[in-house]
Amino acid sequence: MDSLLSPQLLAAAMITGVLYALISLGLNLVYGTMRLLNVAHGDLVMIGAYVAFIAFSLLNIGPLVSMFGAALICGFLGWLSYKCVFQRLLSNGQLLSRLEENSLLLFFALSVIIQNLAILFFSADRRGYEYLSAIVEIGDVRLTGARLTVLIVGAVISAAVVFFLRFSLFGLAMNALIQNRDASAIVGINVDRVQMSSLIFGFGITGLAGALISMMEPISPVMGFPYTMSAFVIIILGGLGNLWGGFLAGLLLGVLEVYGVALTGPEWRSVLVYGIFVLILIFRPQGLLGSGKTAR
Amino acid sequence: MSPSFLKISNLSVAYEQVYALRDFSCNVEEGRITALVGSNGAGKTTFLRTLSGLLEAKQGVIEFDNADITYLPSHKRVEAGLTMVPEGRLIFPDFTVEQNLKIGAVSKRALGQVEDSLENSYKIFPKLDQRRHQLGGTLSGGEQQMLALARGMMACPRLLMLDEPTLGLAPLISDAIFEMVVHLKQIGITILIVEQDVNRTLQIADNAYVLENGVSIMEGTAREILTDPKVRESYMGI
Repeated sequence: MDSLLSPQLLAAAMITGVLYALISLGLNLVYGTMRLLNVAHGDLVMIGAYVAFIAFSLLNIGPLVSMFGAALICGFLGWLSYKCVFQRLLSNGQLLSRLEENSLLLFFALSVIIQNLAILFFSADRRGYEYLSAIVEIGDVRLTGARLTVLIVGAVISAAVVFFLRFSLFGLAMNALIQNRDASAIVGINVDRVQMSSLIFGFGITGLAGALISMMEPISPVMGFPYTMSAFVIIILGGLGNLWGGFLAGLLLGVLEVYGVALTGPEWRSVLVYGIFVLILIFRPQGLLGSGKTAR
Repeated sequence: MSPSFLKISNLSVAYEQVYALRDFSCNVEEGRITALVGSNGAGKTTFLRTLSGLLEAKQGVIEFDNADITYLPSHKRVEAGLTMVPEGRLIFPDFTVEQNLKIGAVSKRALGQVEDSLENSYKIFPKLDQRRHQLGGTLSGGEQQMLALARGMMACPRLLMLDEPTLGLAPLISDAIFEMVVHLKQIGITILIVEQDVNRTLQIADNAYVLENGVSIMEGTAREILTDPKVRESYMGI
């Protein structure tokens, strides 16, 4: 039991939690503003991770710089998918009503394509790079420099994102769109622009999280799927479309996962995550914080 | 005073193949209250939703202040001074009263004076001042309607479209809403109102149109329409 109270474990839980919070916020923005079920979300994590990996191994650029490149590239993909596909679908009332189901299939196809392209280009091998791998000791906690950096950078960026969404006019507009599309249009919000920005922003922070993850863990073309699942569990836990709920749920799932695995074993990770998922759907489909859409 | 402040010519709107509004033309004069009456399903809400850009016109032209706005997106219409207070209020349930009001001033024309507008809203609606930090979704129906009106005003509109502003409200609150509409006219805002309380609406309106099954069947001054025997029989049960 002693190990459960160790600050070591707490640090691990916080790292996972911060990353989950960022990744699920990206998914939640895209779902909340447009009702797009992005099952390729985890693949953005993978893309971000490979951007950082390539930047480091080929161009000798550290992940703390290339994470912004990862955000830009994933944000660009968000822009591209909006311009090519969703702008048209979202502006047509008839197509809009079927968009949620259609987007699921579309993103599933995209996910398969992205993963296979990644395997084609980078092979299916797991890869990694050495970055800040020296151990840092803070009190009783022993961490690699990379993990400590991820914790700090992740926390700072999460705080910045939360602050932006909470206090900027743009964040207010995004939140308005999540609550009611028609109402947003009639108060004068440029719905088209907010939707596009949500995709860019949501994809971007997910790519950034992927770059951070590549600092600590080996990466592979299929690394994204567990993140997709976790992100969905989190946004349902927090209430679909509820940004703050999702953010807190991300931290919570990080803690539950790390402590749960510490109590049982790594082979139980999936059982834990999916178990939580099923339990929420049975007992609190509206999410822990109540408001927000009911998961179906 | 331009006579064609808002001019609608031969407007048709359809859901898939079903026409909800057919070949409708009307004029809204600046500084006046124009009322649109008719039974349920006559196309009144369809009309206002088309004017605010939520629905697309199938045929016809909408001109506002001599500019064609038929295919303009909603936010551009708000920017031009055309604001709707929708049926069912559509306030943001997870925003506080103050956030609801602030988002009402999101358009460029209103953003600059958001603080003044906010103060003004609280002066006109002291109830909202008291509930500043309460979530919109927890307000009563009457308070939500006040909030929707105040939010519409935050956009500094030149023309305010009101869709069923007293639907489902207690008589006392309805009185307050009608008084407010008259007050808005007095401070120079043009009003286009759709209301199920035909009698009271025609009493405060200047001009009126009667819609039936998506077609305009009568138009004139509110007084003419109010005294028309057919209207009295069909819509006021007299």
